[in-house]
Amino acid sequence: MLVLSLSFIVISMMICYFFKNIQLQYFISLLTALIHLIFSFCFFMGWYDPEIFFVSDDSLSRLFLFVVSNVYFWVVLISLSFLKKSSASNGKKYYFLLLNFYLLANTSVILSNSFGVYWVSIEATTLSIAPLIYYYRSEESLEAMWKYLFIASVGVALAFIGILFFSLAAEGAAFESSDLFFSDFVKHAKQLNPIWLKAGFIFIFVGLSTKIGIAPAHSADIDATSNSPSPIAALMSGSLRVTALVGLLRVLQIVQSTPIYGFARILLISGGLLSLFFTFIYMFYPKNFKRLLAYSSVEHLGLIVIGIGIGGLAFIGAFYHIVYNSINKTVLFFSAGNIHQKYQTRKIEKVSDILSFIPITGWLFLISFFAISGIPPFGIFFSELTIFEGILFSDKSWVLGPVLFFLLFIFINMARPLFKMLYRKDQSLALEPGREKLTFIHIAAIALLLLLTLLALFSPDILQKRIFTILNDFGMRL
Amino acid sequence: MFNLFSILFCLSLLYLSVTSRLNAYISVLRIQGILLTLLLLFHSIGHFSVLTLILPLTLFTIKVILVPRYIKKIIFDLEIKRTIESSMRQFSFLLLVLFSMAVIFFVSNSLSKSVKIDIIPFASGFSSVVIGLFVIMLRKKLIVHVIGFLVMENGIFLFGSALSFKIPLMIELGALLDVFVVVFLMGIALNKISSTFSGFDITELRRLKD
Repeated sequence: MLVLSLSFIVISMMICYFFKNIQLQYFISLLTALIHLIFSFCFFMGWYDPEIFFVSDDSLSRLFLFVVSNVYFWVVLISLSFLKKSSASNGKKYYFLLLNFYLLANTSVILSNSFGVYWVSIEATTLSIAPLIYYYRSEESLEAMWKYLFIASVGVALAFIGILFFSLAAEGAAFESSDLFFSDFVKHAKQLNPIWLKAGFIFIFVGLSTKIGIAPAHSADIDATSNSPSPIAALMSGSLRVTALVGLLRVLQIVQSTPIYGFARILLISGGLLSLFFTFIYMFYPKNFKRLLAYSSVEHLGLIVIGIGIGGLAFIGAFYHIVYNSINKTVLFFSAGNIHQKYQTRKIEKVSDILSFIPITGWLFLISFFAISGIPPFGIFFSELTIFEGILFSDKSWVLGPVLFFLLFIFINMARPLFKMLYRKDQSLALEPGREKLTFIHIAAIALLLLLTLLALFSPDILQKRIFTILNDFGMRL
Repeated sequence: MFNLFSILFCLSLLYLSVTSRLNAYISVLRIQGILLTLLLLFHSIGHFSVLTLILPLTLFTIKVILVPRYIKKIIFDLEIKRTIESSMRQFSFLLLVLFSMAVIFFVSNSLSKSVKIDIIPFASGFSSVVIGLFVIMLRKKLIVHVIGFLVMENGIFLFGSALSFKIPLMIELGALLDVFVVVFLMGIALNKISSTFSGFDITELRRLKD
């Protein structure tokens, strides 16, 4: 099944390369995305075991592959209607080819059981997304692509040094460290040399944070997310950050039984708090609504990293948060893309009265904003509450103070410009008020919002089981 | 032998920090590529087979022939000025480089007491990474940043070969391919940047900010 789904991606890449018809490319890519979604669903439910030694099949891989595949499917689904409306014609040529390549690279990142393969594939994800950032062929998008390509490559190179340090730490341990298998490292973690482990963890954390998008290495990620077309921005916020997080989690899984676990926790928590702080500062004077959403991603990833660092109940909350955040960000960027296409600007001051010009998009944007701010009954509310509770009853309960303070002000300052965009009347605007046609993008957004609510309300057992298994794999108890 | 190559590698780094010509930077890339290839060949002397030749040959093709040529072509096509502009005086840059190299060698020496590592290749590789970062941070032209990134990658390669075990062949090849594609994409981006922006300074890339 894995082979089938991967070979479909390759076939689809070939078709996208040789045939210039956008419709055909769309249908084959959609079919590939659907097959991949079915495959990852079976993998997630535990109905399929690859049983190949270099494929990682723990709960972490199963959950994350499903999250990524889900976001990817919806993005491909709306891509045709997005491309039809968009005026940039040069960017369309390799759009689907690169999307397929992106899926291949991400699958390989999540399923790899070896540091080496992980590293090569995470670099490949950068390569696949960089040309997509340059979709609009404008100066801004060019600069964003250059910065993302460069900073992410340097970051990933630093992470590779960290990986080499890890293999040095395994010197003298009783296993074959040259294959760089995660599972071997986890099994023999107690024999690893703590000094090298510590150095390796620092390098991997700093290197990967350029791709995860947590402070202080978040700038390239922000530029890239805010200047790419909205399906790509949704892909970056909803799935690319998640795949980068896999590496950090694997490393954490290795160090959790060693003496440097405390140090790793402090590093994670301070990275998360710093991300919240940067978002807090930015939100006082936002000018560009896509940038605002990109910063919101930094905020939520920061919260996730704090939850992971605290451990226990907060760890569980963080995993729920990863699932909900990826769905929610996808909806937000879909609506933001519609707004951008209608108003032809990303500046907040030039957008006004969305609710009367494009009411469906406006309402979806409003609802998804409520969802991301943690208002019930949407998922984020429950996961944030779990994280808060986890922090409160942990040994580092003081963290809750700054977290709540930052989140409150981020919410207030984020709401102000967004409400202005939605409600403010502006007579000078030369747009025809009118009814909006229901498109694929809206249907996808509504479906995703429903999914977000239903997931939170019914909380499927299998999701809970997967997350608790991950907790056990990380050697934590509630 | 291993140490000799590493020391030559360090010398190439020192040359990098004193020269102010772009062509010299490219020669440094070539020299480092040749040194790494020789190093790999010496590694495989005891157990020679066709398989052991794949990696050195790919490395040689990519790092000595393709990438330097490509960078030269970009410089020629875009008519970039052949001098390096620095935001720091040449002499202080050299001092900074020497100081950090000394610190790295000293630290590696004290670390080698706890874990068995070859000090000289390890420290040279690490210095190369740090100097690559310095080049990226303190030099101005974008093309020079690409070269700094490549110096960093070379350093990681040397550093990886200082470990007592072999990294699997497929991963090394994948890494090389990745680097090549990154440089290729950066080249395309540079072409576009030069046609949209007027100059080549990093100061031009200031459109995106909060």
